[in-house]
Amino acid sequence: MLGMLTRRVAASVVTALLASVVVFLLVRAVPGDVVQQMLGQTSDPAAEQALRLFFGMDRPVHTQYFEWLGGAVRGDLGTAWVSGRDVLDLVGGALFVTLELTFLTLILATVVGVPLGLVAGIREGKVIDSVVQSFSVIGLSTPIFWFGLLLLIGVSAVLGWSPPLSYESPVQGLGANLQVMVLPVLSLALLQAAAYAQFVRQAVISAVGEQYVVTARAKGMPERVVLFKHILRNILVQLITFGGLLLIQILGGAVVIESIFGLPGLGRLLLTSISARDYPVVQGGLLVVVLMSLLVNLVIDVLYRVIDPRLKVG
Amino acid sequence: MLAVVLASVLMLGACSSVDQGGNGSPSKDISVGPSAGESDLYGPPAENAKQGGSLTVASMTEPPSLDPYHQASDARIQFTGLMYQGLMYESASGTALPLLAEDVSVSDDGLTYTFKLREDVMFHNGDLMTSEDVKYSYDYIRDAENGSPGAGDFQSIEEIETPDDATVVLTLSQPNSALLMTLTNKYGGVIPAGYFDSPDAENQMNVESVGTGPYKLVELRKNSNLTLASHEGYWGDEGPYIDEIVFEFMPTSAAIVVALQNARVDLAVLPRIQDAEQLQGAEGIAIETFPSLNHKALDLDGNYPPLDDVRVRQAIASAIDKSVVAQAAAPGQHQVLGTITAGMQDSWGLPLEEVPFQERDVERAKELLAEAGLEDGFDIDLTIINGYDWMNPAAVVITQQLDEVGIRVKTKKVELGTWIENFQQAKMGFTMNDWGSQPDPNLLFYRHFHANPEGSDFRNWDNAEASKLLDEGIATADQEERASIYKEFQKVLGETVPTVMLYSPEYLVARSTKLENYVQHPSGWFFGLVQAYLVE
Amino acid sequence: MSTTTSTMTRQLRRLSRQPGTVVGLVISFIMLLIVAAPGLFTTVDPNEFDIMAVLSPPSREHWFGTDDVGRDIYSRVIYGTRVTLGIVLGSILLSALLGGILGLISGFYGKAVDMVCGRAVDVVLSFPPFILGVMITGILGPSTRNLVLALAIIYFPTFFRIARSGAMTEETKVYVEAVRSMGYPRTRILTRHVARNVFPSLAAQFMVVFPLALQIQAALSFLGLGIQPPTPDWGNILESGKNFLLGAPWMSFFPGLAILLAALATILLGRAAQRAADNQ
Repeated sequence: MLGMLTRRVAASVVTALLASVVVFLLVRAVPGDVVQQMLGQTSDPAAEQALRLFFGMDRPVHTQYFEWLGGAVRGDLGTAWVSGRDVLDLVGGALFVTLELTFLTLILATVVGVPLGLVAGIREGKVIDSVVQSFSVIGLSTPIFWFGLLLLIGVSAVLGWSPPLSYESPVQGLGANLQVMVLPVLSLALLQAAAYAQFVRQAVISAVGEQYVVTARAKGMPERVVLFKHILRNILVQLITFGGLLLIQILGGAVVIESIFGLPGLGRLLLTSISARDYPVVQGGLLVVVLMSLLVNLVIDVLYRVIDPRLKVG
Repeated sequence: MLAVVLASVLMLGACSSVDQGGNGSPSKDISVGPSAGESDLYGPPAENAKQGGSLTVASMTEPPSLDPYHQASDARIQFTGLMYQGLMYESASGTALPLLAEDVSVSDDGLTYTFKLREDVMFHNGDLMTSEDVKYSYDYIRDAENGSPGAGDFQSIEEIETPDDATVVLTLSQPNSALLMTLTNKYGGVIPAGYFDSPDAENQMNVESVGTGPYKLVELRKNSNLTLASHEGYWGDEGPYIDEIVFEFMPTSAAIVVALQNARVDLAVLPRIQDAEQLQGAEGIAIETFPSLNHKALDLDGNYPPLDDVRVRQAIASAIDKSVVAQAAAPGQHQVLGTITAGMQDSWGLPLEEVPFQERDVERAKELLAEAGLEDGFDIDLTIINGYDWMNPAAVVITQQLDEVGIRVKTKKVELGTWIENFQQAKMGFTMNDWGSQPDPNLLFYRHFHANPEGSDFRNWDNAEASKLLDEGIATADQEERASIYKEFQKVLGETVPTVMLYSPEYLVARSTKLENYVQHPSGWFFGLVQAYLVE
Repeated sequence: MSTTTSTMTRQLRRLSRQPGTVVGLVISFIMLLIVAAPGLFTTVDPNEFDIMAVLSPPSREHWFGTDDVGRDIYSRVIYGTRVTLGIVLGSILLSALLGGILGLISGFYGKAVDMVCGRAVDVVLSFPPFILGVMITGILGPSTRNLVLALAIIYFPTFFRIARSGAMTEETKVYVEAVRSMGYPRTRILTRHVARNVFPSLAAQFMVVFPLALQIQAALSFLGLGIQPPTPDWGNILESGKNFLLGAPWMSFFPGLAILLAALATILLGRAAQRAADNQ
């Protein structure tokens, strides 16, 4: 187990490094850099040159990369070229917002999607199943950004309410924080709840046919016991794995939602930095995203192996 | 589905409320805003101004940083203009008024400028300003090694001297009638001497401001908001009245309108007339228009065939109907241009009836093309920039108008960074452009249109006659003489078409009625907030 | 004679009991028809504008209303169908082709190819799909080419893995050994037998991936990173409407609805295909 773990971690590290090289080269592959953006149309070649030297853009690519990597390993992701702020600070602050959005969405999606999926799976073929399936299919087809926009103006038109304009962390003001988050979370959670419901339903249907369920039913156990003791426990590991996958998906969807609702999250930070050609922020931000994604996958793998054998034995 | 229901409700609602009346003129609920007087600093004096309060302003652009020395974007200047001050102030009517300078005198040969500085000017950090600080600040800007984008504008300054604490003397290498306007608030301002000696100085400006302006920085939160507070030690007697200003960075104009409707925002410059239409009849909101110094243009690169033939450029100018383009791009809030921005038309502009090729003439365009040997027309790429929304409808209209004379246009959208690179290397091709300047014709025309090496001639126009006129314009002090020189220049510009100036947008400002005396400065910057006040 | 009609009626009756499949089929059929012959559905030029009629609400003249330059939205959505669906289809095909071929080679021959492709797949998978799309189109610049490239890369791993595992399983099958001992070269085995056996899983994956890719493509266009105007595409029509959402919500509503319906149809058909495959 430990051996497998070390191997997986090592593989993830290699992947992360490769990913960082890809990003590093990618941003440098394009014409038009941040200096020109900063100095605008009226700039002076001497001024440009001075700024380029300041950013170290005159040095060869591999030197720049290793310097950046060396810093990254020590936790120093450099300073943003456009604003001069510390990249780790910027990314950290933005990450917090995105993580809050992601977790709230995951919780809502789980709380809504899993029970729906359970019910639909158990009562397969009945009306409730069709309803849940329809909900799930429509939810999966709805473009999140379209839904988010409609929600924003719909709520404003019907209820005369719109979210507060800037993000307050829950530490600073829980009420304000929830008000800011409610619409974005709702928009994102729809798709994920639909996906979860469909997945759970499928898992339940497969489980229902399993031997242990048939035996339990034959023994005359009440429905609720069958459901919770046997089915749920057996599909639990699948649920968790799927939850992890959803987490990654939500991370991706957060980009659009943050843009629509003006949340200062990592997705929005990446978008603005990419268009501003602020390489340190793009590199730092994407590195963090990659590391998180690899971490989630690693944790899922480990959980899978940990939970699974124990269950099968019981 | 909930979304479908909501959407249908909205559409039914919208169907009845959309006003299709205003094509070209503001609707009845939109009024023309007040203007600042010729000698007003920041805005007209406030009668019965009340002190205090907090104002929330919506902004679609976020400043990349708050450092006025290393950044040139308008997105930054809008805000730093409230915190940093130069020797002079760019008045709404286009003259340079003394700001940190109390008095200016110019020698007869135009090479020596003596500034008497105001006393009791306090920086945000509590220090008092002396001539040493002024010298340091302007020496820093004009040294290109420091990376200021404005370095080129200060080229003619040879030396800065400080005979005493309250006097600064600038010696020029050649006369420059635009010097006073250059010493205004676009590039930098006065900061304490030696500020940039510490290595972390530039980043510090995003955390703590060190200007002399009426507002100081409280906090800049990226992708979120910017908070300013009034500077208690400010030297001016009138204003600022509002204690705290919060600029919220909003992602879409729909979000801004919603925020205005729900009173989460008190002031916003609306991008489109349709946004204003949404607010018509809303309680507690007033909508006003103000002229601007920005303009939208179509640029023609003289090295990009077949634009190298002046007849082809003239044909393009003839084929375009500027009012239709402006109507499509900025309905109800534009001013069609001749050869200068709307803000300067009255003082410096060539009357529109004298501008060559101003009116659309399809036949003439076809004749010109035939003369150039292109009777069958030709294909050309039109570049537009991502993020500049007005370019989309404008490109659609221009494509159709040029198609009618046989020029087949294909639109290409590029990123701003790429566009700027091409522009600065004078390889812009056939492109739309969006820029503004301070209200002086020299600052508008010189760098862009003077031949190399004195100017940058981004459009490869290389016109000797025009360059000569620009040189005369910068050296002449007499206002009337300058005006006629620049009118001559504009005739040459209009005749040989390195650029087709389309329109200047009007600023459409929506404000809560609890905000009084706010006049939007034509530069687009937020100067007017200094004289505005809140009533409750 | 009577047996075929009764089989048909039986199949039709079975279908009608699955409303989802019927809906999916109907929508798909209509959309394919729109792609093939947009002229059947509208006679209006999607690029023709009329500034006297900007932002008009849906009416008998303009079923979906007009946009900010006066163009007919219904017509733009119709012509956009071809663009959007074409891009998505093309990208996934490219992805399936590359992923499939490289996967088969990796699974069958292993070694260097497998190592390199495996690492590449790992790197691609370490990015959340949408962020990868933003990265590629945002950094390399928004264009049709980069959009197709981004989508193809995003889904490459999934096709690669299916083809690879399929090839590996096939390789161990008895018939391969048998055929090899008969002297057939490995390449011929690969192309003739293995590929054919792996193909159905690839096709099934295609159905699964399509709605996902559609959503990503639309979202990228919405952020301005996809198909560039004035070429109509559902995503960018929606994007151009986002600034007029309050005054003219129809600009964004209808393209969004189109995306929803297309995704819906493919999901429903995918499920039907899955059910059919399971029943076999």
